[in-house]
Amino acid sequence: MSYQEKRTIVMMLTGALVLAAYCIYAFGQVNAGVVSLGDLRFWARTILAFIGIGIVATIVIQIIFHILLSVGIVVTKTIRDGKVVDEDIEKSVEAEMVEDEMDKLIELKANRVGVALGGCGFVAGLFAVLLGYPAAVMLNIVFIAFSLGMIVEGFVQLYYYRRGVRHA
Amino acid sequence: MPKKFVISNHIRRLRFFANEMTQQELAEKAGVSRQTIIAIEAGKYSPSLEMAFRIADAFGVTIGEVFECAVEEGAKK
Repeated sequence: MSYQEKRTIVMMLTGALVLAAYCIYAFGQVNAGVVSLGDLRFWARTILAFIGIGIVATIVIQIIFHILLSVGIVVTKTIRDGKVVDEDIEKSVEAEMVEDEMDKLIELKANRVGVALGGCGFVAGLFAVLLGYPAAVMLNIVFIAFSLGMIVEGFVQLYYYRRGVRHA
Repeated sequence: MPKKFVISNHIRRLRFFANEMTQQELAEKAGVSRQTIIAIEAGKYSPSLEMAFRIADAFGVTIGEVFECAVEEGAKK
């Protein structure tokens, strides 16, 4: 499995974890009767907090992932070659983490799917309001749709890495 | 009917004649990832002109010796 695929899986897992944490916390509060669906301030505060948590979690997990990946490269190289020089390690890590035009193309194509899913969530949210559901339902649909979009984006990236990608 | 351009390559053969150059070595010479070389070699990705030139340069040959294009007449779009 390539570096790009591993990184995509880590991103997907981070997104899934943050989404799961949000659902457990937010809907747990509603089920416990602590907040009502109409309390927009609670939903705005919670969603903003989880957007922040998502950003921080992504940065922290990416740093840990890169450290572990570098350690993995060093260990593999040491086992294979016996001894390793610092320059060799640096070169191997850099070679492993190269990002080129194919990665960018895959990222763009996958991003399009993710954004489309988020857009569908927004339209679904508007329909929910039209059908008489509280505004908090719309907020949740939009937030969950964008979060799911991020996870689906990862799946699309993995698909393109496995099946290949065309420019057109 | 529009023509269909099918691009193939001779990277595997060129690697063999370049003293069995590894995909990693070629990737490093061309400044791309090994994953991309694997995809190009398997015909799963058609590189940009710039990348195609870089790959050809890594072998020290012309671009026409690395990539080949066959035209299929009357292919469905």
